[in-house]
Amino acid sequence: MNPANDVALENERPRVDIRQKITGAARYTADQQPARMIFAKAVRFPYGAGKVVSADVEAAKKVKGVLEVEVDMEEVAEYPGAPIGHIVAESRAAIEDAEEALALKFERTAPKTDPVALHKAPESPQGGVFEGAAAVVEGTWRTQVQTHSCLEPHGSVVDHRGASAEVWGSTQTTFGHLDGMKGPTGLDASQIVVHCEYVGGGFGSKFGIGREGDLAARMSKKYQRPCKAMLDRSEEHLDGGNRPGSIQYIKLAADKDGKLLGGRMDLVSIVGHGRGGGGVAGLGDVYDLGAIEETESEINLNFAKPRAFRAPGWPQAVFALEGALDALAAKLGMDPIAFRIKNDKSQRRKERQYRVGADLIGWKDRKPDGTATGRVRRGFGMGSALWPTWPTKCGAQADIFRSGRVEVRVGVQDIGTGTFTLVTDVAAHELGIDRDLVTGRVGDSRFPAGPGSGGSQVSRSAAPATVNAVRDALDQLKASVASEWKIDKEKVKYGKGTFSTEDGAKKLEWAKACALLADEKVTGNGRTETGTEGSGTSDCVQFAEVEVDTETGIVRVKKIVAVHAAGVVVNRLTFENQICGGVIQGISYALFENVRLDPKTGAMVNADFIGYKIAGSKDIPEIVPVLDVEPGDTGVRPIGEPSTIPTAAAIANAVSNAIGARIMELPITPQRVLAALESKGGAA
Amino acid sequence: MSRDSEIPGARATAERPWATSRRSFLKGVGLAAGAAAVLPGIGSAAEPAATAASADVDYTGDGQRQITLMVNGAPAVVAVEPRTTLLEALRTGLDLTGAKEVCDRGSCGCCTVLLDGRAVVSCLMLAVDAVGREIVTVEGIAADPKYKNLIDGLCEHDAAQCGFCIPGFVVRSAEFLKSTPNPTPDDIRAGLAGNVCRCGTYSKLFDGVAAAAAKGGVK
Repeated sequence: MNPANDVALENERPRVDIRQKITGAARYTADQQPARMIFAKAVRFPYGAGKVVSADVEAAKKVKGVLEVEVDMEEVAEYPGAPIGHIVAESRAAIEDAEEALALKFERTAPKTDPVALHKAPESPQGGVFEGAAAVVEGTWRTQVQTHSCLEPHGSVVDHRGASAEVWGSTQTTFGHLDGMKGPTGLDASQIVVHCEYVGGGFGSKFGIGREGDLAARMSKKYQRPCKAMLDRSEEHLDGGNRPGSIQYIKLAADKDGKLLGGRMDLVSIVGHGRGGGGVAGLGDVYDLGAIEETESEINLNFAKPRAFRAPGWPQAVFALEGALDALAAKLGMDPIAFRIKNDKSQRRKERQYRVGADLIGWKDRKPDGTATGRVRRGFGMGSALWPTWPTKCGAQADIFRSGRVEVRVGVQDIGTGTFTLVTDVAAHELGIDRDLVTGRVGDSRFPAGPGSGGSQVSRSAAPATVNAVRDALDQLKASVASEWKIDKEKVKYGKGTFSTEDGAKKLEWAKACALLADEKVTGNGRTETGTEGSGTSDCVQFAEVEVDTETGIVRVKKIVAVHAAGVVVNRLTFENQICGGVIQGISYALFENVRLDPKTGAMVNADFIGYKIAGSKDIPEIVPVLDVEPGDTGVRPIGEPSTIPTAAAIANAVSNAIGARIMELPITPQRVLAALESKGGAA
Repeated sequence: MSRDSEIPGARATAERPWATSRRSFLKGVGLAAGAAAVLPGIGSAAEPAATAASADVDYTGDGQRQITLMVNGAPAVVAVEPRTTLLEALRTGLDLTGAKEVCDRGSCGCCTVLLDGRAVVSCLMLAVDAVGREIVTVEGIAADPKYKNLIDGLCEHDAAQCGFCIPGFVVRSAEFLKSTPNPTPDDIRAGLAGNVCRCGTYSKLFDGVAAAAAKGGVK
């Protein structure tokens, strides 16, 4: 943060908007209802593949309150939930009635629903690194398709007023939403305002305005009334984003000292009817894997295209690779941590993170794989990851008012990560004044532009932009003080709320200095062109302790230790919340979540929160977030994505350790645990 | 292409095999008897206090009528159809948007309100069945000094990320702390098991509810 190298920046005050959220006062896009609002909703194909053959559009149009109905009889649908038309009406009830009146009938073609049946197992490579290796491991790991399941659905409310439009978007990119609204509103960016102060989750699925945003904009333009189009829960599962599944064939070799020699990885992504969502990440950045021959390919199913999902490609890749590494360590008779230290590329992890994490989880109690006894068996496992940085541009504005109050504006959104709090706390810290004097404002396209909440880049770029804006405003305030003291501006010193002359003879407190301003306020502008000031790679390792009931197959996660390099932590509570959140999503991915398709019709059979289970309060273990700081850490580092990457791998390795059979597939359901116990199979 | 409109359990007139429609679901769980489905840890609204008020209602018909609901201690007139849920009446009719529509099938707890002091999921209750009963929403809880410890405890522990699920947790916690004034950590986990949070804020929620209990709980 150029050069905000003061780790004392960290504070433990709750996020600035906590009371609005706790009391229900925060208004999300889903809560907006401007007067005279109409509603729009897609008509969707229910099965894996096919088309609509009969639709009583006239009957649907006759339903009271219905404004418009369209069904595309030519559209060939390729996934359950594919939009094939739309309904616009005065109320949601009227839409419901129109859906029924449509009396849709379909014909369907055979859907592709089983990735395993479509997968061609590679031939086991021989020779090369495998010849004379001390240990070789070979296996095929599989992961499921997971939906983003944001609690606030995707959607927009658009109020088109001819020459301007006001838009509320449930989006993780204010400016992406602004850009996307230009076409369907027929307006210039200067005529559109996008609000997204409160966004009910995104996790990678809320880039772009989506079909629903496009529909709301077009219908608002057409009828010159505010129009709301939000997905319902089944639409969220079907067409609101998913993490691709994977089938990962891995064969790895190591020498007798535990050095990885290399091997073969055939990484297949299960991607629905089109590409997206990051596939499976290659993991050469975490470990030196030796000479790896890698292929990447895709299997298409009749399901929605994937979207980026919190660390796209990573959790699935780390699950497979860390499983293979544990299997290799076991073959070599090495402790899994000692084995990783032989091959890890990160000094931070090798020198500190493994030791700290191992101590906190109680690694010394870990028994060799499969030697635990009794009905309920305890196991320990770990997994490593990193998240990189890249150039990110972000702007900010800061007002200092004559009253002594400060307002900071950054246009980017706050999807729950704490952007409001970040800009407020950074500004207060930079000025050395109390947070209560500062109002941070975000989520508004009239404010300076910045990145979307993807790739964990908002905090690391909004922080330096805010610092620079505040410094610019402070400079102008200094000019007022200089003029009062009749000295050069450069000779006015400032620190912790007090202005002074170089010799300290004259002093002026913050409030009195602000009162000198000739105008009501001064405005400073700030930018960053890189968003990487003092930042860097976020190395991390997570450890898991589990208990496995060998009679029922039920896995209980007892404890997770999450050791993360995060650089300067601006706010301790938002840091802990986001790390714990990443871990909990990882637990949910490891144990529960799974899109199930009907092999006959291709319909998703669990497109709700009854059959699609996500982690609940009874599934939450003790979670210990550990901030790993080095003296050289001077900027904000990413934590949103890395916090969810290694959790599933650590849990799977802990379960394998407990039962003595490798877990080869997510989610780790009781049936799979029992099957693994039965066969003692897996990677050999 | 195989022609198929005969899916077991699906209605030939409106094939939605991925999800039961709201109306058929409401009918299926017997809401006409005035019962809201029950979540783990969330009470039933089945007490027959007000069924008389709505006994003559055609639950599948349309057309609006005005009803008076007692919400947060005051009467509120709202126009509803017989099929309108309590959640829809609160959010759309009365602009009380604290309760959220998330699953719309009683499985996430985000729409929880107090009904005669019991936490119920308002997406599974018809507005007409709430006539004559005492409804308290998160807005009412936030404004009531009885619940100050709860609101403060959750705020102090930063018990929200995106925040969309939190109003439901607040309402359920209000009931929970009344029935369980000195909860253990396991009590809290079990007590909040009917609510879902996607951001994974559970750890802070547990801390916030424990802190609220330590401050003296709810009155």
